[in-house]
Formats: sequence, structure tokens, C-alpha cells
Amino acid sequence: MIRRYAALIRNAWLVDLQYRASIVLWLLWGVTEPAIALGIWWAIAGEGQIAGYARADFARYFFAVMLINQLTIAWDSWYLDRWIRDGDLNYRLARPLHPAHEAVAENIAYKARTASVILVVWLLVAAAWPAVRLPLDPGRWALTLVAVLLAAAMRFFISFTTGLLAFWTTRATAVMELHAGVSLFLAGRIAPLALLPPAVAGVAGALWFRSMLAFPVDLLTGAVHGADAIVRGLAAQIFWLGTWVVAYRIAWTRGIRKYGAVGG
Amino acid sequence: MPSIVAADQLSKTFQVKVRDPGLQGALRALFRPRYRDVHAVRDVTFRIDPGEIVAFLGPNGAGKTTTLKMLAGLLYPTSGRVEAAGFNPWTGGPPFKRRIALVLGNRQQLVWDLPPEETFLLNRAIYDIAGGDYRERLAELVTLLELGDVLQKPVRQLSLGERMKCELVASLLHRPPLLFLDEPTLGLDVTAQDAIRRFLTEYRDRHGATVLLTSHYMQDVTALASRVLMINRGRLLYDGALEALVARIARTKRIELVLGARGGGGGDGNRVTAEALAAFGAVKSFRFPNAVLEVRREDAPATSARLLAAFPVADLSIEDPPIEEVIRIAFARGVEEEE
Repeated sequence: MIRRYAALIRNAWLVDLQYRASIVLWLLWGVTEPAIALGIWWAIAGEGQIAGYARADFARYFFAVMLINQLTIAWDSWYLDRWIRDGDLNYRLARPLHPAHEAVAENIAYKARTASVILVVWLLVAAAWPAVRLPLDPGRWALTLVAVLLAAAMRFFISFTTGLLAFWTTRATAVMELHAGVSLFLAGRIAPLALLPPAVAGVAGALWFRSMLAFPVDLLTGAVHGADAIVRGLAAQIFWLGTWVVAYRIAWTRGIRKYGAVGG
Repeated sequence: MPSIVAADQLSKTFQVKVRDPGLQGALRALFRPRYRDVHAVRDVTFRIDPGEIVAFLGPNGAGKTTTLKMLAGLLYPTSGRVEAAGFNPWTGGPPFKRRIALVLGNRQQLVWDLPPEETFLLNRAIYDIAGGDYRERLAELVTLLELGDVLQKPVRQLSLGERMKCELVASLLHRPPLLFLDEPTLGLDVTAQDAIRRFLTEYRDRHGATVLLTSHYMQDVTALASRVLMINRGRLLYDGALEALVARIARTKRIELVLGARGGGGGDGNRVTAEALAAFGAVKSFRFPNAVLEVRREDAPATSARLLAAFPVADLSIEDPPIEEVIRIAFARGVEEEE
């Protein structure tokens, strides 16, 4: 299996190298959203604090969002939707390798590429700007790594499962768009959850949105206090990951039976 | 010899949403969708022996591709049973998939932006092909398909024919005993079509592979298939050799004449006329010196002899009607009625 993954990731990178301009554009997109959010909060915070967040806290928060969002984001619903509707799933189903493996390999390739660039950018900025520096705390980094892996796995299954809706509807990507729109607020992409109205933050915590992004970000920036809160956050991530894996399995086994194998 | 493919009472029914035209129809479909059953394949039963090349024949939407996809495990049958390469395609998993190849004429697995060799290497990893086997098989396929210098060019720069050849290489590196080819010559020029056909025959002869294919090109069928499965509206109409089908369907033969000038005279009165030919059979075309007559199959030899006696004939041949026409008749009237 390792050889297969190596081959899949190699091919993904080789394709990437054909499209250097688009890599830059995607990277800019990944940087722009948190940069804009930071700019707005920077202006609003002024010299004071909002819900305990001063300018430097916002800066750290959004640099973490930039990195962790790139590490956990999944585009699979768009691919799946196209594979299913155009019939590109056909030859993938005829190979002795589940199509999900190809999707996972693509994710690893994409994340390694974008996150490494963002990490370098962060290090460069941090060298000049102490506000975005993070303490070298191996324990915190290790926990963050676990939370990021859980979040990445969960977001993969959310995206893959949503893409599988294309077995039933031609509007699968619309569902994913809706989810992305909601997660803009509930996952903490445009503001720390602590700044949201308690009811909204409550929804984000009760559903999977906090586990997607806000929790690992808070873990990295040190906004999660106490072992208890960390354990609860990780447990929520594991629970929602499990839930989405189950959803994926149901969608896959049912969808594949319904599959019309369009397009030749 | 046990069969490599066995389909028993195989059926596939799709549910298709029906919508009345207009805005009202669209709204009604939105709130109260109605479905109609489309029977793409109905009670199809056949067996295929190892090493056979079998072609599915049928008009668009006849159910050929649906049948092929059920055999390859892509589509789940509504009812009936399939066994292919020793497996139920639906439960066979990777061991089944290692024993088949699926080539779709209008879909490609080659990575568009990379040279084909990258896809080959990917498949080498996916199918766990040992290094020595990989090099040996690649060399063989490249030679058979005359693919020398295209392996390093990006796929997007290859011609359609080169792409299809590379598709075949990618699909055969794991040397599957059972090949499913859906329109493998679609859109190719005559030379490329011919190259693919020659390759498939050669490959079967070398490795004893079984080939099931669908095609709209009758040349594919006549050149490759020892047996045809004729499908129309989801039903299997005919299963057997193509020649036997022609003999069954075509009640007529064509006598093609090249007439010579009548010796001696040379005046217009001596010229053969269409009216004169009509006494021997239906004149399909006549432009001196060429004439084509259609006569009843059993009368062909006798009529030929009479023609030779009556006219100055430079050349005469007895042919079956064009295969396309036979097939068209078969689909229009059905096979059984013609018996």
C-alpha cells in the first residue's frame, strides 16, 4: 500500500508542476481570507481587547487558521461529483484500489505542498514580527498535530461523503458550498468562536464545526486551557470523525448500487 | 472447458425521472417526482469460453454497454447472476479486478498532463507488478502497438489513436485474462482502427485472453469477433457466428456484374439495358458497364449461369448484402421472423 501511495502522490506532484501558476493562485486564496479577517479584527480591536483578544492575539489566531485550514481542507466533493457525473469513476472502480485511496493521496500531496509554503511564510514573518511567534512547547505542538490529523480526516470524510451525494442528485457541490458557507462562521474561519454570540458558538461546539478547525487552532495558540478541555475537544473530534466515517460507508454502499455508470 | 463469463437471466432496470414540459411540469417534478422504469437489460443469458472474442451488437441504447458494465462489476444488476473470471463481480473485490481490464473508448485513465509512462508506472504500483514483469510486458505492448516514441510525450499532445493505444497498454500491464472493451475504436481513423484490431487479435493469440467488446464499427466485428451477441431494447436477439446470422437474415444475394461489349455489332441496340437485366432479378444499380442485381439466395447460382449465357460478362461475383444492411434488417424486423 505504501508503494501505491508513493506512486499516487508522485503523480499528483508531477501534475502540480505542470500548473505552477494555479498553485500560486490557490495559495493566495488560502492566505487572503485569513489576511482579510485579520485586517478587519486588527482595525476593530484598536489598542484594546475584544473578548480577551488583543491585536497580537488576532494575529496569532489567523496565522494558525491559515496554516491549519490548509492542512485540513478537503476538495474531494468537487472531484467526486465530477467523477460520478462524467463517468470518470468507471475506470477507478475497475482497478483493485478503492477510489478513496486516490483521494487521500491527493490530499496528502496537496497539503504537503501548500502547508509547507505557508509554514515558511509564517517563519519569515515571525522572524520580523514577534506578535505571531508561538512558544516552542513540544507538548502543545504534539497535541496540535493529533488534532490536525483528526480534523483533516474528518473534513476528508465530510467532503467525500458530500461528493457521493452526486449518486442521487446533480447538486452535490451546492450542498458542499452551503457547508463551506456555514463553516466560515461556525468553524472559526472569520472570527474566533469566543467572539460569536454564545448560542452560535454553542451550535458550532455541539456539531462538528469546532472540531474541523477552531479546536486545533485554539490548541496551537494556547486558547484551550486545562487538560479537561483538551480531552473533551479531542473526544468531540473522534466522535464526529466516527460519525462521518459511518455516513461515508452508508453513502458509498448505497450509492454504488444506485450508480448509473454514465458516460460510456 | 469451463466458461470464463456466465450471465444468467441478467436484468438491469433504471428508474428515470419523468418531467412534463414547461414551468408547470418542472414545478410538479420538484414537488411530486414521477419515475418511469427503463429496462436497459432484460433476462440476458449467455456463456463465453476462454479465448473467445465476442462482440455485442446493437443500436445506441440497446443495452450493450450496460451489460458490459454489469459484467465488469460497475453496475449492480437488478436481478440475475453473473460470474466473470471466476468471481461474482460485485463481491470479487481486488482479486477479481486484477483479472479484468476495462477500456472505455470515451473515457480515459491516462493522466492528461503527464506522459503516458507515468500512468503506466502508477498502474504498476496499483497492480503490484514486479519490476522485471513490468519492463517485459511494457516492451511487448509497445512493440505490438508500435508506440516507440510517444511514451515521453504528455498525453494531451498525443493523437486520439496514440491515446487509445496507450490506454490499452495501461489496461493490459497486469496481463488480465478477461478484457472488456467499450467502443475501443471510437473516433479513430481507419489506420488506427486497423492497428487496434490487429493488436487485439495478436494479443488474444499470444496470451489466450478473452475479449468482450462493443462497437459501432462493423469492421471491428467482422475482423475480430468469432461470435456476436445481438442486443436490442435490452433483449438478447441472437447469439452465434456472424456468418450464420447473415445466412439467416439475408434472404438475398447480390450478383455484381461487369459487362463487356457484345462482340461483333457494337450498335446501341446491342447494349445491355436495365430492362433486360430486370428479367433476372431486382436491379439495385446499373451504370454501364457495372450492374448489381439482387436475387433470392437459393437462385443465385442458377441466375448467374443464365446471366453469363445472356450477356457478355467480363466479371461476375456473388456477394452477401453489406453487413450493415443485414444488421439493420435484423434490428428492424427481429431475427426470428426471418427464419
